[in-house]
Amino acid sequence: MENMVNYDPSFAEEVFRDVDAGDEIKMCMNCGVCAGSCPLREHMDYPPRQIFGLIRAGKREEVLSSKAIMLCTSCYTCVVKCPRNIPVMDVMHGLAHYALKQGYVPRKDTASFGKEFWKQVYRLGRIDEKDLPRRVFFSGGLVEGIKAMLNFMDIGLRLMLHHRMKLLPERKIKGVKSLQKMLDKAEGLGKGGAAA
Amino acid sequence: MADVQTTNQSILVVGGGMSGITAALEAAEAGYDVVLVEKNPYLGGRVTQLYQYFPKLCPPNCGLEINFRRMRQNPKIRFFTMAEVAGISGQEGDYDVTIKLSPRYVNEKCTCCGKCAEVCEVEIDNPFNYGMDKIKAAYLPHEFAFPMRYVLDPCLVGTDEGKKCLEACEYGAVDLDMEEATFDLRVGAIVWAAGWDPYDAAKVDYYGYGEYENVITNVMMERLASPNGPTEGKIVRPSDGKEVKNIAFIQCAGSRDENYLPYCSGICCLASLKQTTYVRELYPDCDVTVFFIDIRALDRLEDFYTKVQEDEKVTFIKSKIANITEDEDTGDLLLEGENTRTGEQILMNFDLVVLATGMVPNGIQVDGAPEVPCDEYGFLVNDPEKTGIYGVGCVRRPTDVASSVQDATAGALKAIQSIARR
Repeated sequence: MENMVNYDPSFAEEVFRDVDAGDEIKMCMNCGVCAGSCPLREHMDYPPRQIFGLIRAGKREEVLSSKAIMLCTSCYTCVVKCPRNIPVMDVMHGLAHYALKQGYVPRKDTASFGKEFWKQVYRLGRIDEKDLPRRVFFSGGLVEGIKAMLNFMDIGLRLMLHHRMKLLPERKIKGVKSLQKMLDKAEGLGKGGAAA
Repeated sequence: MADVQTTNQSILVVGGGMSGITAALEAAEAGYDVVLVEKNPYLGGRVTQLYQYFPKLCPPNCGLEINFRRMRQNPKIRFFTMAEVAGISGQEGDYDVTIKLSPRYVNEKCTCCGKCAEVCEVEIDNPFNYGMDKIKAAYLPHEFAFPMRYVLDPCLVGTDEGKKCLEACEYGAVDLDMEEATFDLRVGAIVWAAGWDPYDAAKVDYYGYGEYENVITNVMMERLASPNGPTEGKIVRPSDGKEVKNIAFIQCAGSRDENYLPYCSGICCLASLKQTTYVRELYPDCDVTVFFIDIRALDRLEDFYTKVQEDEKVTFIKSKIANITEDEDTGDLLLEGENTRTGEQILMNFDLVVLATGMVPNGIQVDGAPEVPCDEYGFLVNDPEKTGIYGVGCVRRPTDVASSVQDATAGALKAIQSIARR
């Protein structure tokens, strides 16, 4: 039979044990509400329910190298709707973090966006809506950068029209030093992902 | 009316639905004095509102008629409609119960001639049809109502419309001076058969019940299909009255969901399968799609499921629907979800959506009543250490009519034993 799978529980056990919020997937009853309500479902290779299924089926490679675990945008829709109260979002983030630790490299654009986002939050305490995309767009070279800029011109103009993006550079928040201290300490604790 | 003599050898049955009627009859036919109280103006409860039973697909009225005849023949039973329990005190073998009677504004002289309804021009939402149509404020609850007697809505009291009804009655049956009354009963044991309410589907906000007219619940579907329902048995869309061509049933609408009703009500699967059967029979061109997490058709009921699966125009899709949106122009409904067998995304249009909502038990919510153990969901538990008050039927667990009858018979025996012990 096509659907026959030789189940290997060792990866599921690894996830339950080592991935932040990983043991929550034990509650999943395969209803598909997370997948049906995810705004990014069309861009995911496996929606959350299928990720959980793959974990149970022992498909380590497929799960840790999947695009899906890197794509979650924390919109909370699945968390609100899950009939078993699974913090689906936390599980996805936990898996993403775990994959990075295990040496899996996410898609290049996701990775560079994440890195730039983090750097900017650390430096300013906020996001500069023109500086961040500029850095991400031009990370692949000048030609790529100009292409991407032209692509997003419409959105940029509308953001400016609604005062969501300023012409001048964003300033640092008050007390950015204390924020940095907090972030350093949090990083040292190794939270937000698999146990260090 | 309220001069009821009871002793600590009497049994009180609360709730005049199928469970309550059964418990009362079984105890009375075993020779015990029974008082039955019912909140509605008629007996029979939710069973009277059903179009068909599963799995035999027979109408519930014949079974009810047999029970009503048993009741009329038995002097050991006295029953009160529009009656609620206002207080319970005492202990097993010696309960003191206060019953509150709401005014019906129609006395026993009523012959059901219908003159009061003819002259009455005020209309109210029809509670029997879950508010899907209007009814005169002077009304007979339904065609087979037992007791067969009209009711006047309290909104008529003190109005000219009320006076018109009073004057129209040739038998002096309308009595607008009736007031709420209470009386006390002394009983030895109590059978609690207050039944259930459908779970409020509006709480599951992403299904749009209450917002989209063409999203209805399974209990409303029973009324739509009933010949004495709001559409005289035609299954049509509430928004535009068009006959249905493409229906979706959504199972577990709120059930098995930690955010709403965490348990499985056990009957909704078969109820939807039954509704699928009669929709297909009434409308041979209609397509039916059932969205489910698991179909729970247990034991012999699985045969029913297998039979429905054979119908080519019925599709079963394993998916909990995640969202419904309405097309404002057509009233059609777009369902979104994930087909969990194929992994495909579901985006399908339907002209009517039926939500299979679960059962919520009507527990003992009477101030100062002796404590009766409940489980975490509010269903009564018959604890052998705490005897005297016995839950039967759907207050004890969500169940179908046949099991309610069995459970009520068992409950009647427990009440009799409770009395016989002392």
